[in-house]
Amino acid sequence: MITGYLNNSRGLGVRSHQLILPSVVCSTHLAKKIADQVGAITFSHQHGCGIIGPDVEGVQNYFVALASHPNVNSTVVLGLGCETLQGNELTDSIRQNHPQSEYVVIQESAGMAGALESSINTAEALRRSAAAAPAEFLHLTIGVEGFPDQVLLQNFTARAEALGHKVRVSNMYKEQARNFADLVREKCQVIISFPDPNQPPTGLPLIPVLTVANKDSLLHQALQSEFDAISTIAPELLLEKLIAVASGELTKCERQKIGNIVVPRMVRSV
Amino acid sequence: MAELSPLMGFERKNNRWGFRNYILLLPLHNALNQIVDDVRVAHPAHEIITSVAHDWSGEVDSDWGRISRTFSGFIVNPNVAAALVIGIGTPAELEIVNSARVRREMPIAYLSLKDSGSFDQLRENISKSVSEIFPLVASEKRRPAPWSSIVLGLECGGSDAYSGITANPALGVASDRLVELGATSILAETMEILGAEHLLAARAKTPEVGKAIIDVVARYERSISYEGIDIRGAQPSRGNIEGGLTTLEEKSLGAAKKAGNAPFTGVLDYAHVPTEPGLYFMDTPGHDIEQLTGFAAADVNVAVFTTGRGTPTGSAVIPTIKVATNTEMATVLPDLIDLNAGTISDGNESVIEVGARIFQEIIEVANGKLTAAENGGHREFNLSRLYGSTL
Repeated sequence: MITGYLNNSRGLGVRSHQLILPSVVCSTHLAKKIADQVGAITFSHQHGCGIIGPDVEGVQNYFVALASHPNVNSTVVLGLGCETLQGNELTDSIRQNHPQSEYVVIQESAGMAGALESSINTAEALRRSAAAAPAEFLHLTIGVEGFPDQVLLQNFTARAEALGHKVRVSNMYKEQARNFADLVREKCQVIISFPDPNQPPTGLPLIPVLTVANKDSLLHQALQSEFDAISTIAPELLLEKLIAVASGELTKCERQKIGNIVVPRMVRSV
Repeated sequence: MAELSPLMGFERKNNRWGFRNYILLLPLHNALNQIVDDVRVAHPAHEIITSVAHDWSGEVDSDWGRISRTFSGFIVNPNVAAALVIGIGTPAELEIVNSARVRREMPIAYLSLKDSGSFDQLRENISKSVSEIFPLVASEKRRPAPWSSIVLGLECGGSDAYSGITANPALGVASDRLVELGATSILAETMEILGAEHLLAARAKTPEVGKAIIDVVARYERSISYEGIDIRGAQPSRGNIEGGLTTLEEKSLGAAKKAGNAPFTGVLDYAHVPTEPGLYFMDTPGHDIEQLTGFAAADVNVAVFTTGRGTPTGSAVIPTIKVATNTEMATVLPDLIDLNAGTISDGNESVIEVGARIFQEIIEVANGKLTAAENGGHREFNLSRLYGSTL
């Protein structure tokens, strides 16, 4: 049994985060101030303006996927106003399925001080109205990212699926951020990451990520205390740890606040 | 007799001058962003510490040359007194640090997560290094600086129909005066001279420079059409159109006004450093922060950013003066704006008069006056990538 949250229309989550979603690089700084003050999640990025072609749709769709994730209880979109990716349209796309979503625009809020005040009020009101209900549930969608030992992955997947969990694997890309993005779109509530031997453990602000060290990696050996497990772990123990994390135990990356949301891009900025 | 400069700056060992005296904390992996920010905020000397966050995670791909040049240039920006570079412990990171060390003699320390053994230990090591380096940096004093110490970055963002008739030509007046006095000024944003390149090329000091301006624009157009994309689908941006701009050419004619009437001394690739005083064109994206980051990596030590719609962004190392193109926006968004050029279209001041005010503001900001973006704590930083789309 997993002890989590019913995050309103976004469904069953293992965390209940409010997301302050900057629609453009120009609003990321203010988004961080707001998130710090109200205890929400945000991320810095360089997108939303100067993007063309497939990136316009790609960035917007990824923002919608983040704002619709089951670990999110509500979203405040923070726009500048004159950007390519218009915050009001982004908010409308999110609202189609998730009414607990609001929009604040800096250029119509009497400057940064005005936008800060209005965003905090909006975020707090939304938080009150969108409070998640505690929920108990049996089945998770588990994401697996990176380069796991194949035997461990097979045994883990077999065991998890036998218990009714879904397992989604994403390791198409060398860049971890692209694999994570796939798993966000798949609405995985919790992720197990097997980083490349030359990469550190990295999490995601919205989704707890259990990191598993590669036993042969010198970097991972040096950082052993920062991983949740090592690749020699028994599959049943890994699943046990995962269920504990899904029920609220913090991962190492969550404790250290390690990890960014990185938005995959296809084309240069103009 | 040459006019005496009222400038006071920090003289660097590579003959550049800084107008700020920062300790830069530069993470070289996105997993380290938060740790670096935590240390900056918590440190007692946080006013002189600056830091950035970004999304790079150490990939060495087709953009590696551009990325490593950006990072190493950022480290040695003249406004940085000392730098702590924080990495995972990879050869690529050391390459960045080593090229910075070749470019400028200055305190540069490299701390790795691998050597620290844990995130907590890394935090402690960064904090200890900042404390060690702080007395040295704090003891540096401003000294009289020549006019040639200024490397001015010219930028516009969130342009409107007023940009080309108020703030941009006024900035051109200030830029011309500085170039005349022996300073360096850099125009950029290749997309935003598209359609005006022949006018700029005609102002080149040599036929080679003129050809280089035409070639940069042609290369840019090929690079974009390689993607099968019509640039006019993205530009003018929706914000520009709402601000009254109708075509990319109209936007370009207005944007180019920032560079006044001085002759062009040279053309620079992204994040490449000008080698002698004069007016330059740098090949950068129009994306405001990618441009500003490219400037920072090219020794720019003060920037002027004109805006019609109102943009709050700044740089971690370059004081960035915001000039409003219209009085309405300057009034509605006061905490984003340093200076209003809307007085020109209001009929209250001439372009020359506002140009003189911008010139004076550049001197005051160089001498230590904080800009609106600095007061707001803006430190936006973006890596410019081509994703293999260059030709």
